[in-house]
Amino acid sequence: MFLQQLVNGLTLGSLYAVLAIGLTLVFGVLNIINMAHGGIFMIGAFVGLFMVTVFEVNIFVAILVAMVVGAILGYLLEFVALRPLRKKNVSHLAPLISTIGVSIFIESVALLVWGPQTRSFPPDFIGGLIDFGMFKISMVQIIGLGVSIVLMLILNVLIKKTKIGKAIRAVSLSTETASLLGINPTLVISVTVMLASALGSAAGVLVGLSFDAVEPMMGVVIGFKGLAVLILGGLGNITGAMVGGFILGVSEVFSVAYGASSYRDAVAFGLIILLLFWRPQGLFGSKDKGGRP
Amino acid sequence: MSEILNPYYLQIVMFFIINAIMGISIFFTLSTGQLTLGAAGFMSVGAYVGALLTLKAELPIPIAIFIGGIVAALVAVVIGLPTTRLKGLYLAIATLGFGEVVRVIFLNLEVTNGALGLSGIPAIAQELTNYVYEFDMDGLLDIDALTWGNLLTIIILLVILALVILFCLRIHNSRVGRAFQAIKADDHAAELMGINVVYYKMLAFVIGAFIAGIGGGLYAHITNFINPTDFSYHKVVQILLFPVFGGSNVVWGSVLGSFILTLLPEVLRFLADYRDIIYGALLVILMAVRPDGILTEDLMDKIYRKLGVKKKAYIPETQVLTERFEAYKAQSKSGQE
Repeated sequence: MFLQQLVNGLTLGSLYAVLAIGLTLVFGVLNIINMAHGGIFMIGAFVGLFMVTVFEVNIFVAILVAMVVGAILGYLLEFVALRPLRKKNVSHLAPLISTIGVSIFIESVALLVWGPQTRSFPPDFIGGLIDFGMFKISMVQIIGLGVSIVLMLILNVLIKKTKIGKAIRAVSLSTETASLLGINPTLVISVTVMLASALGSAAGVLVGLSFDAVEPMMGVVIGFKGLAVLILGGLGNITGAMVGGFILGVSEVFSVAYGASSYRDAVAFGLIILLLFWRPQGLFGSKDKGGRP
Repeated sequence: MSEILNPYYLQIVMFFIINAIMGISIFFTLSTGQLTLGAAGFMSVGAYVGALLTLKAELPIPIAIFIGGIVAALVAVVIGLPTTRLKGLYLAIATLGFGEVVRVIFLNLEVTNGALGLSGIPAIAQELTNYVYEFDMDGLLDIDALTWGNLLTIIILLVILALVILFCLRIHNSRVGRAFQAIKADDHAAELMGINVVYYKMLAFVIGAFIAGIGGGLYAHITNFINPTDFSYHKVVQILLFPVFGGSNVVWGSVLGSFILTLLPEVLRFLADYRDIIYGALLVILMAVRPDGILTEDLMDKIYRKLGVKKKAYIPETQVLTERFEAYKAQSKSGQE
């Protein structure tokens, strides 16, 4: 029982982690919370679903296509809602509202096009359970856990080893200094938002697959969890987002398994309120950068 | 006359006033540079406490609403102790989390009737209509008793809104208001100037919560029905948009923002399904064009000048000190002679 719940928690947590990494990447570079992340996440889920049902492709191809669509949406988001604001000296509220506007826009378009009903993946897609004796794990869970871990590994290499990754880190430390050193901040910011949106999109497909439910409002609830993970791990910290995602996933599953199932959605925020008593900058956040708007 | 005063229009006006009050509650904490997203949480505390007091304890409505506000303020004191020490987005998310926790608690409590919510809350308009009958005002000025009830409700709401606005305007140039501005500009510098930053942040947080609690109480006693979903994430965003859309640096911004954003969905009603799409696009465009909201301090100065309202001459502190010093010197000199 315990091991089973742990496995369930870890698979859920890996999805939260991928989602939150997208948020934390954007925060690291732009110092804003991207409220449209949930919207792109939802679009990703729909793209994945249609790839699977209409074009009948492999789930991995579907995730890849969803990521490409997510990246394109990310570029549009940056171009329409964030770039115009960067040129002026604006308060940190403006981009927040602007991305909220985008999320309302995306959600209402989706509602108009696809209707409010919940759609599910074809039944043969869910696959069977694999019994390990101590615990059972479904195909869906394996795909979710596997893809998330692979994505996180790729991202880690991308951020740590490649040129663009170094540029992203440089811009997140200081945009001005980075541009003095010959880095084009506009390009780096575009790439970061695209990368983040691609990850959000992939998380959308995986979450849609594991809950077997895709609907236009799914981004709101899950997007919320992403915010919780973001704070839990420390703003702008990728390792924090990964660990935070797993912590949230596991604690949510355990709270459902051992009692308070109706309080499930409060667990995330109860957890961060408690954590902030102890570490106001999040688990992995650094003190000097943390919390600055 | 009766066409203009139909219940639908009157209801929109009532919602506009409540929204304005909620907007000001956010504006108030924003004026210390704190972005809190707990307004919906405090609103729901005020609404539930007020509604339960009138439903179960049968207290008079004004007292119940006032107690609701007080309880919201008390909750804010408890929540504020850890959270007002947080900065920027940490504070925003922590307060957002508070709202979410409150919502889930109300969803699960027995006394709040869970997801079904509370219904049959006594309405202010209904009570006032009874008074109208009592004082025989039915048909006065060709307005029937029900409309009179609604009109009187609006007048009472307007008085409350006016009081809240007056409070904000008066506090702006007081010692407290100056402290708020200093903290908003730079809290480290404010601390070095000897301002107790935590105290003033807490003050703004608690007063904001009190206003939100009152707003919630009024909301409950106007809609007659509340359930936890009324105070979800969407409400938070909606409330936050009022001051930011209208202008987050001046109190009139919240009023203008709530006026436009309450009216807009009703005006756009003919667009039906496309309404939210336009709403979202409008937010993006507005932020690109006027990132500080419609009303800014500069614009307000211009408007004041046009209206011929004289702003109080601002005397720099240094000038005041020099004058005092000169006076003191003159005094001590005359004493010596």
